[in-house]
Amino acid sequence: MIGLLHPDARLVEAANGATLGGVDLHDQVAELSAALDREPPGMVLAAMPTTVTAVLRFLAALRVGRPIALVDPRIDGERLADLADRFCPAVLFGDAESLPGYRPGPDQRLGDYQRRTGDPGPAPHPDLALLLATSGSTGSPKLVRLSRAAVLANAAAIGAALEIDGDEVAPTSLPLHYTFGLSVLTSHLHAGATVVVEENAFTTRDFWSNVDRHHVTSLAAVPYQYEMLRRLRFDPARYPRLRTLTQAGGRLNPDLVEDFHRRMAAVGGRFFVMYGQTEATARMAVLPADRLPAKLGSVGVPVRGGEITVSPGDGPETTEPGRTGEIVYRGANVMMGYAETAADLARGDDLGGVLRTGDLGRLDDEGFLYITGRIKRIAKIFGVRVNLDDVERSLARHGPVAAVAGPDRLVLVAEGADDDRLARIRAEAAEELGTHSSGILVRSVDALPLTTTGKPDYRALEDQC
Amino acid sequence: MKLERLRHVFRNSLELSDDSPVDDLEYRGNAQWDSLAHMSLVAAIEDEFGVMLDTDEVIDLSSFNRAQQILEKHGVVLAD
Repeated sequence: MIGLLHPDARLVEAANGATLGGVDLHDQVAELSAALDREPPGMVLAAMPTTVTAVLRFLAALRVGRPIALVDPRIDGERLADLADRFCPAVLFGDAESLPGYRPGPDQRLGDYQRRTGDPGPAPHPDLALLLATSGSTGSPKLVRLSRAAVLANAAAIGAALEIDGDEVAPTSLPLHYTFGLSVLTSHLHAGATVVVEENAFTTRDFWSNVDRHHVTSLAAVPYQYEMLRRLRFDPARYPRLRTLTQAGGRLNPDLVEDFHRRMAAVGGRFFVMYGQTEATARMAVLPADRLPAKLGSVGVPVRGGEITVSPGDGPETTEPGRTGEIVYRGANVMMGYAETAADLARGDDLGGVLRTGDLGRLDDEGFLYITGRIKRIAKIFGVRVNLDDVERSLARHGPVAAVAGPDRLVLVAEGADDDRLARIRAEAAEELGTHSSGILVRSVDALPLTTTGKPDYRALEDQC
Repeated sequence: MKLERLRHVFRNSLELSDDSPVDDLEYRGNAQWDSLAHMSLVAAIEDEFGVMLDTDEVIDLSSFNRAQQILEKHGVVLAD
């Protein structure tokens, strides 16, 4: 089978410019693959920092057909231990105390890791290649099971939609355990392009000097990063090679869509609005940059090999223009299913390539998709998904608190709370979710609006956001 | 008093307790001061002192000291 790594693909370490490409890159991945292959059978659980070492490890696991779960590198030891307990990895990378049933791994080529000495868990399904968490580093996340075929299909489809070729240079502007961030890596390596392994954020001098130094041609960003870029007065004229911006990770305010389209169009560049989910490996739809002005508010058309319909609830799935319903996606990049325990890793494909997204939308007469809302009780904070019901439960001791989704923010509405209590609720939620409190808006109401069944009227609350 | 206001802005944006020392804070090597906290800090400084920072200033605002220098460049007298 053709692998992910194109013969011309290159990795560049942003900090020192060290470049790894061609035969050298393939050899290093092959050597790590051989080392991984000698470990006890089973999956790999790996904290995924933005480093060349971590990228090589991921590529090696993919090559050797060993499922790898990539998790937030800031995960604390306790949570990592909890994941290890639930999923019984054979090999574990990350800062955890030495765990019961594990011993420090001896193979120097792999770096620091722990190796399982106890019983191996059930053998993972042979198609399983990649596991990603559906939400942030908190709680006990479900993992999304992705096949090797799904990872390769989506990398290729993204490359086609964005016309990625061997001249493209993309930095890792998003975390690699995050589906959008990882897709930047996979789509570029698959197309024989260059990935600059960059740990710095947009808000640092180093990031922008590296954009110049490594001749970066494209940037991927989620909505809050576009807010940053606007505040930084991002001007593509200052970066003559940088001609492509891509956006995913939740709805971007239409003002910002138009703004960044104009900034890029003014220099002959392109701005892509896209739609995806971890459950679809990464990308489901891309809005071609030249259609953006005519299709403002749309997330575009399905990526190659994908199909989108809407399921209106009171009738069959349809592509009829203007009908609103749950967005249903079909394609080779749809996940095999979720995993909550080690036993689930042995499961085959539960979905048959059909994903009910939980998002509401409609198609227009040319098949462009517009997202109008969501069915599931989720919000995004700075592009990271949170479960609103979980948030409410964790705040229950503060009295009636309703959690709803604002634009890229979590909104908490508390009954009869004074400023002090609102501040405490906000701080506690930020701590619990591991996010900056600017991602959480709080306000007080005399009484939460209720539906006829006595539940909080979330729709009314969201309309007030 | 303006210096104390700047300290307050730092503590708020970086989510530090009310008595945390902030005068020696630097962006690098500070887990609290990530890119989100940075944007929140820049917004709060602009609001508090009625200034508009340009791109280079936003990026150069890498310590409490640098924040003072940048504000002074904008004519904000911080000295007590």
